[in-house]
Amino acid sequence: MLKITNLRAEIDGKEILKGINLEVKPGEVHAIMGPNGSGKSTLASVLAGREIYKVTGGKIEFNGKNLLDLSPEERSREGIFLAFQYPIEIPGVSITNFMRAALDEHRKHKGLKPLSASEFLKFMKEKKALVELDAKLEGRAVNEGFSGGEKKKNEVFQMAMLEPLLSILDETDSGLDIDALKIVANGVNKLKTQQNASIVITHYQRLLDYIVPDIVHVLYNGKIVKTGGKELALQLEEQGYEDIKFKADKK
Amino acid sequence: MTQHKVLSKQDLLSLFEGKKSFISDIDSHKKALDYINANEFPTNKTEAWKNSNLNQLTKHKFCLPENKNENEVLEDTFAVFNMQPYKISIINGKYSPENSDLKLENSKIFIGSLKEAKEKHSDLFNKYYNKTESYKDNVFASLNTAFAEDGVFIYLPDNIVLEKPIHVLFFSNGREQKAFIQNRNLVVIGNNSFADILISYHSVSFDSVLTNVVSEVFLEENSNLNLNVFQGEGEGTFHINNTHFIQQKGSNLTTNSAIMCGEFVRNDLIVDLLGEYCNTSLNGFYLSEKEQHFDNYIKVNHLSANCNSNQLYKGILDNKSSASFFGKVFVARDSQKTDANQSNKNILLTDNAKVFSKPQLEIYADDVSCSHGSTTGQLDKEALFYLRSRGISERNAKTLMLYAFISDVINQINLTPYKELLYFLLNKRLKGDKIEGLCSIKICPSC
Ligand SMILES: Nc1ncnc2c1ncn2[C@@H]1O[C@H](COP(=O)(O)OP(=O)(O)OP(=O)(O)O)[C@@H](O)[C@H]1O
Ligand SMILES: [Mg+2]
Repeated sequence: MLKITNLRAEIDGKEILKGINLEVKPGEVHAIMGPNGSGKSTLASVLAGREIYKVTGGKIEFNGKNLLDLSPEERSREGIFLAFQYPIEIPGVSITNFMRAALDEHRKHKGLKPLSASEFLKFMKEKKALVELDAKLEGRAVNEGFSGGEKKKNEVFQMAMLEPLLSILDETDSGLDIDALKIVANGVNKLKTQQNASIVITHYQRLLDYIVPDIVHVLYNGKIVKTGGKELALQLEEQGYEDIKFKADKK
Repeated sequence: MTQHKVLSKQDLLSLFEGKKSFISDIDSHKKALDYINANEFPTNKTEAWKNSNLNQLTKHKFCLPENKNENEVLEDTFAVFNMQPYKISIINGKYSPENSDLKLENSKIFIGSLKEAKEKHSDLFNKYYNKTESYKDNVFASLNTAFAEDGVFIYLPDNIVLEKPIHVLFFSNGREQKAFIQNRNLVVIGNNSFADILISYHSVSFDSVLTNVVSEVFLEENSNLNLNVFQGEGEGTFHINNTHFIQQKGSNLTTNSAIMCGEFVRNDLIVDLLGEYCNTSLNGFYLSEKEQHFDNYIKVNHLSANCNSNQLYKGILDNKSSASFFGKVFVARDSQKTDANQSNKNILLTDNAKVFSKPQLEIYADDVSCSHGSTTGQLDKEALFYLRSRGISERNAKTLMLYAFISDVINQINLTPYKELLYFLLNKRLKGDKIEGLCSIKICPSC
């Protein structure tokens, strides 16, 4: 589904991603862990097509297409979804109007007719229930005045609406209380099929108890320095990154 | 140094040679003329006109409008879908009964021509006409006072709640040369009375006009007025509008100004809060493109204690267009417990669009709560990316954000059919559809 080869990216002339290789197949859950500032969110942003990052080398292939040729909106319609680490506020734009516009464009891309108003509302209601999104948020502007946890739930709600092939969850667990964490993880699991895949970026083993990864990667200083099974996350939780950093720096 | 041409007062005055005043009495006429003789047209050196360049007017030759078609029934006049108003039309400054629809249930209410009011209700006319002395505000207002031929008089006696809104339509019909047209309004809302008014300006055939409007609006004690003004004259129009409100004790005024058309628009609003416990809410939005220039100049004078005033103006500027917002809140020494807010926000869609924004407070009382704010910037790139990352095209993402930006101004309007029309027009305009020629199409939100 996704094949990243030797990807390099920079911002303001500073290289952040220094040759990333990663392959994700349908049905898989990948976890990416790693110290602060190692480039996890940068990788997620580059996948989503954020223009401030300049790709200086390498390739990203997504279902046979060259992802780097596509605009952010085209990537989304092809099935990529990024749940942001810091979801931004969109003043005045209601969640309903926002999702309506997004869903219309996704359906158009698939050659489907837009949903009628009542079909849309019904669909939205189902998806809201999935993440137990508070009904009172519905009429409000996107993320405006939302609490940290509400913003994260809203991200997973949008993911549920758009039914992506590849979802990238950037620290969706941070800022969530224990109940919300379960709800969100549960929502993600319910959306899981054999056709789609997820990349879960997190600092905490706890999330991985709920969303169980097939493969765990450690990103450090712009490179994937270690890859293993789900036990790697447990090991990191106990030992921290010192050892991995030491070995990587020595190379 | 380049020598700038200045708009010639003499050229404009010569148009009126041999004409006397039609609605102003001799005294008002003379005072207005004296003001004209003693003062020049504003230039960019005039503080209040610093950001609005009238020099563009010097390119044009002016004439008076032709009135040969004034009795013609306009086929598709600008009608707001779902609104059944009292309708009064003015063509080139003159009342057009053929294009009006005024079946009033109450004989004490007057909605009609100023000229007729002067003859039939001289006591009322004399009590209010020209009493704001707005002719002293600038040469345009005094030209209007000296030479306006007719206009609209709306009078609600005490204790009347008008069920239907009033729609005042001003049509300007230009000629090859720029026609110089005087429009005049006098609105009086009696004690405890309530009215919704929409005033809209349109051009019929030639867009090339200079419309010069003076409105005097009196809100008597505990009265309520919602006044909406729609500037819908076509591309080549210069529109200059001076409106002066006088609010008595406990009165409530809400205005909304929508500017999307015209080459040059200048709106002056002055509000004098003469009585205590008044509420004033002045709202507006402007959407400019090409080389349009829209200027809102507002003064709210808190001359009594315990009044609230609010200003909310928002604009979106495209291409090489420009806008100016000046809003001043003046609080007199004894106007304690004044609560006044001003906000002007602008979004520039290009690097060539320009905004001059200056909200200002001048406060002489000590127990007041006043705030002002102004922001001008481009659309937030991160927000745009967020919307695009959900599959929304860049263009639609911009439209969503801009629509939301203007919505909170439109949302303040309580005349629902008009509000829907504005949403419809806003949407159309943001999608890049042409919305000029508003007077020649019937607009309904569903078609
Ligand atoms: N817009 C930016 N401008 C300048 N530097 C940036 C920008 N975005 C990221 N960086 C830098 O790139 C590096 C990687 O940042 P990134 O956000 O990808 O880290 P991360 O692995 O997600 O960290 P965290 O675990 O703290 O979320 C950091 O050193 C950061 O300061
Ligand atoms: Mg991060």
